[in-house]
Amino acid sequence: MITTVLVIESVVLALLVLLVAGLLRSHAEILRRLHALGAGLDPDGSVAVAPPRALDVRADAGSFVAAADIDGAGLHDDATHIAIVGARHRTMLAFLSSGCLTCQEFWSAFAGAGRVDLPDDIRLVVVTKDAAEESISALLRLAPAGVPVVMSSAAWVDYEVPGSPYFVLVDGESGRVQGEGTGATWEQVKNLLRQASDDADDSSREARIDRELRAYGIEPGDPSLYRTAEQIAPRSRA
Amino acid sequence: MPAVRKLSAQGLAVGLPSGWEGRIQKRAVTAARETTHAVVHLANFALPERRDDFGGGVTPAMRSPDVFVVLFEYGRESVGTPLFSAQGVPRVDTTMFDSKRLQRPLPGQLGCQRFFTANGRAFCLYVVAGSRAYLPRIISEVNTVLADLDVAS
Repeated sequence: MITTVLVIESVVLALLVLLVAGLLRSHAEILRRLHALGAGLDPDGSVAVAPPRALDVRADAGSFVAAADIDGAGLHDDATHIAIVGARHRTMLAFLSSGCLTCQEFWSAFAGAGRVDLPDDIRLVVVTKDAAEESISALLRLAPAGVPVVMSSAAWVDYEVPGSPYFVLVDGESGRVQGEGTGATWEQVKNLLRQASDDADDSSREARIDRELRAYGIEPGDPSLYRTAEQIAPRSRA
Repeated sequence: MPAVRKLSAQGLAVGLPSGWEGRIQKRAVTAARETTHAVVHLANFALPERRDDFGGGVTPAMRSPDVFVVLFEYGRESVGTPLFSAQGVPRVDTTMFDSKRLQRPLPGQLGCQRFFTANGRAFCLYVVAGSRAYLPRIISEVNTVLADLDVAS
C-alpha cells in the first residue's frame, strides 16, 4: 500500500516539476519577446528595437531623409563633430544601444580588428543616444577600437531612426542617404548592402549608357539599337 | 565655404566648414598633481580614433589636399611668457609653412606652428598641410576656421 502511495506521489511530483519547468520556459520566452519590443526589465533595455526591415539601397535616393553631420559627445568627455555631408567617402551609420540584445551581435562583430570588412570607401561610425539615455560604463566596455562612437540623440531624430539596431548609408559627395534598414547580423547587413549596391550600380550603369547614346542622338527604342548582326555586317563592309 | 556647425567644449567653440570634422577633448589626469588642458583636433578628412596630441597616428595617412589642425592649450603658468606673447587667434600664410616645422617629417607635407594667448589662455596652433600644391586652398580654409574660433576666458 505504502509503495503504491509513494509511486503515485512520485508521478505527481514529476508532473509538477514538468509543469513548473514549462511555466518558467514560457515566462522566459515572454520576457525575451518583451525585451525585443523594447519593454524589457533591463534598465538599459528601454530603447526601442528597430522593426525587421531589409537594408534598402536605391539609385533614386529621393525618398530617404536628408543626410546631416553628426554632433555629439565621445566616450572620453570629448565633443565630437563627424563630417558626413561633404566628406570624400561614404559613411555607414550604425545606430546601436548598449542595452538592446540584438545590438550585442553588432558590438561583437565590430570589436575584432579587421572584422568590419566594409569596402574601402565606406567608414563605419557608431551612433548611440545621449549619455542620459545610455550606460557609459557599458559603452566603454563595448566600444570597438578604431571605430568612432558618438552619443547623439539628435542624430537619431535627424535620421528618423525607428529603433536599434539600425543602419544608414550616406554618400558624402552627394550628401544623400543611399540606403537604410536593419538586419539580425552584421554579415546579413553586409550581404544586403553588397547586393543592393550591385543593383544600384546596374541601375546607374544603365542610366549612363542612356546618357551617352542620347549624346549621339540615339533615344531609347531607336531602331538602330535592334539591328541584327546580318543587318550590320553588309554596311560595315561597304 | 560657410561654417556650418559649431563644435564647442572646454570653453572653446569653432565653426566647421562642410566636410570638416573635429574633436575637443581634455586628456584624463594620469598622475598626481598633473593638470591637463583642452586639445582640439580639426581636419578636412576622417579623423582616426587613435591620435596623439600633435598628430601621431594621423599625418601618415594624409593625402595631398588634406589638412590637420591642432590647437593645444598650455597651463596658466605659460601666460605672459615671451613664447606666448602674441595676442589673439593668429592667421596663417604661405611663409609660415615649411617641411622643417613638422613634428613628424613626412614626404611632401608642410608644417606651421604659432604660439599665442587668447583671453588669458595660452595655446599652440599647429597645422599640417598635405602638400605645397594645395597650400593656397588649405590656408584659405584654415583661416576661415580660425576666424570662427571663440576662446572663452
